Amino acid sequence: MTNYLEINHLKKSFGNLEVLKDISLTVKKGEVLAIIGPSGSGKSTLLRCATFLETMDGGDLSYLGEKAVTMDAQGNSHYEKPAKLKEIQTNFGLVFQNFNLFPHYSVLKNVTDALIRVQKKPKQEAYEIGRSLLEKMGLSDKEDCYPYQLSGGQQQRVSIARALAQNPKVLFFDEPTSALDPELTGEILKVIKDLAAEHMTMVIVTHEMNFARNVADHIIFMDRGVIAEEGAPEELFNSKNPRMQEFFGKFE
Amino acid sequence: MKKKLIGVLLCTAMVGAMFPATLFAEERTTFTVGFDAEYPPYGYMDENGEYTGFDLELAQAVCDLRGWELVKTPINWDSKDMELESGSIDCIWNGFTINGREDAYTWSVPYVDNSQVIITSKNSGITTLEDLAGKVVGVQAASAALQVLQDEEQQKELADTFATLQEFSDYNSAFVELQAGSVDAIAMDIGVANYQIKSRSNGEDFVILDEHLNAEQYGVGFKKGNTELAEQVNESLMELLEDGTFAELAEKYELTDMVCLGNEEAAEEAETETETAAE
Amino acid sequence: MSFTTMLSQMSVGMMRTIGIFVLTLLFSLPLGLVVSFGRMSKWKPLSLVVKFYISVMRGTPLMLQLLVVFFGPFYLFGMNIGGSWRFIAIIVGFSLNYAAYFAEIFRSGIESMPVGQYEAAKLLGYSKGQTFFLIILPQVIKRILPSVTNEIITLVKDTSLAFALAYMEMFTIAKQIAASKTTFLPFIIAAVFYYVFNLLVAVVMEAVEKKLSYYR
Repeated sequence: MTNYLEINHLKKSFGNLEVLKDISLTVKKGEVLAIIGPSGSGKSTLLRCATFLETMDGGDLSYLGEKAVTMDAQGNSHYEKPAKLKEIQTNFGLVFQNFNLFPHYSVLKNVTDALIRVQKKPKQEAYEIGRSLLEKMGLSDKEDCYPYQLSGGQQQRVSIARALAQNPKVLFFDEPTSALDPELTGEILKVIKDLAAEHMTMVIVTHEMNFARNVADHIIFMDRGVIAEEGAPEELFNSKNPRMQEFFGKFE
Repeated sequence: MKKKLIGVLLCTAMVGAMFPATLFAEERTTFTVGFDAEYPPYGYMDENGEYTGFDLELAQAVCDLRGWELVKTPINWDSKDMELESGSIDCIWNGFTINGREDAYTWSVPYVDNSQVIITSKNSGITTLEDLAGKVVGVQAASAALQVLQDEEQQKELADTFATLQEFSDYNSAFVELQAGSVDAIAMDIGVANYQIKSRSNGEDFVILDEHLNAEQYGVGFKKGNTELAEQVNESLMELLEDGTFAELAEKYELTDMVCLGNEEAAEEAETETETAAE
Repeated sequence: MSFTTMLSQMSVGMMRTIGIFVLTLLFSLPLGLVVSFGRMSKWKPLSLVVKFYISVMRGTPLMLQLLVVFFGPFYLFGMNIGGSWRFIAIIVGFSLNYAAYFAEIFRSGIESMPVGQYEAAKLLGYSKGQTFFLIILPQVIKRILPSVTNEIITLVKDTSLAFALAYMEMFTIAKQIAASKTTFLPFIIAAVFYYVFNLLVAVVMEAVEKKLSYYR
């Protein structure tokens, strides 16, 4: 079976600063990958490269076996044509740390507008999809609200619904609970857990160690631009790697 | 975006439509007079909102003789030279002082002899030019009176005795300031002075000093070198003098004492008077 | 001259004043948006040229710009100016000037938009045009509305600068009537007109702001 996401030898620098050094990873269908690590370790940049928000310098990238970025003999990245990238982009969705909802759109419009304007779905069909997702997120009574009227947790659930409406094969989360008050993180983590139970393929950058341990099939620990350690949750959390123990220490 | 495009197209179309009409005019059919519509009695707005005045009626009479259509174009006095230079007007006809500007324009024959005078409040105690020493004197910006007061060969010396020579933009505010006492006297053309005194409700409060700053003449100013048009207008003016139209108009605007069309001594008189005044 | 004749004569000028106002807004707002794109362009020569244009427009008096636009064609190309060029020059001069101010306002609004809005739109597959006109511009308009209102109110009063080209708008006529009738009444009428006009502008802009206050 082909990998849903495959990254090989990814390199990325900002100026002289090499942020990612030779990262390779694969995500299989239905797999939940958690990426942890100290801030500045490159995990957000990795996610942004995977979602085309940053351009990778070296390495290749493919979704469901389709190459979005190929690598030449020197290891340099070459992107496919924009039309091709746009097509491949429909395979994934991204939930941002600070939601990035459109403030001038109602909740329902936030979820459905791209379906109507980009995917050219009939309005009725789009609204059906949107409403059923909002129901799933427990936000049925909020469809006419505007983002500013919602709590952070509710806004993040809207943004998850918006991403799911695109029917992605892989769903990325960029520290989905970091912008939330501690008492609101639970509701988001529960939503993600439910999605995992439905075998949604997900890549989650997170600081929530216990959550990563509970929900992930595979965990990558990143440090200074490289994958310092990876494996099943239990292996990783019992690792003897001193950097990792130091990192975990901060969360106890 | 769309609106912008339409706007550009519209502008281009309008500009394009307008040029051919003006570019290829060979036979003169119109006569465009530039004037300051805030300069009664020579050019101003009447009861009905029409532009009229001694100069404009005179221009109309010339056009009637010539079979031209008179186009009255009120101009901003400060940019009169650019208007004339660029051809947007054919002449400046508006109580336009020749003296000091002899070489800047091609002139018609002088038709009004106009002195620059000082107007002051009756009870100001100012009766001679000497009394103006240490006083605040108002004068319209870019006016002939100002020129006289700044010209070393004319009344610069007198002006130097003033406390301030204050420039203002219109006579209305100047008269209010005179009344309020913030200026002590105003320098202006005699025709304007007579008009202001007559038309103001409190006109009797003001007097014109007997001693004049100078005497000078009005003419029609054409673009330098445009002698052909100047000749044509001169011809018509003399015709109007002969048939009495000129005198009629002068009377209508109470300028009879000042007109000098065809009066060759006028120029000499002006000179002697200036000399007297300068002493 | 009675008060009513004075008023009726000035009303002709008022229509012209309103004409300058409406046409200037019509051209300068979209032009300002285009100019702001030029100003923000990543292509240096373009952004420098636009920056220079903006600094000239903001750094020299509007009255002077009007004179240049009107007389420029003659002095530069020897073109015969006259007729309707006077009015066109006024609209062109005002539009170019106000576009510069609006461009900077647009730029400040566009640059204040969080990058996350663009990223979210990109991930959802919106095209660049859709992203700008559906997602970014509506929010920018809401943000810049107070500054735009300021400019519009200034424009109402600036219309009187058309006198520099001897265009018979309301204030020029007021000055002429004042000169020939030796009275200040036209100025009082003019003051009331400007005030009421701006009151209307303020009311309209407030209504627009209110309409956009459905979100934050």
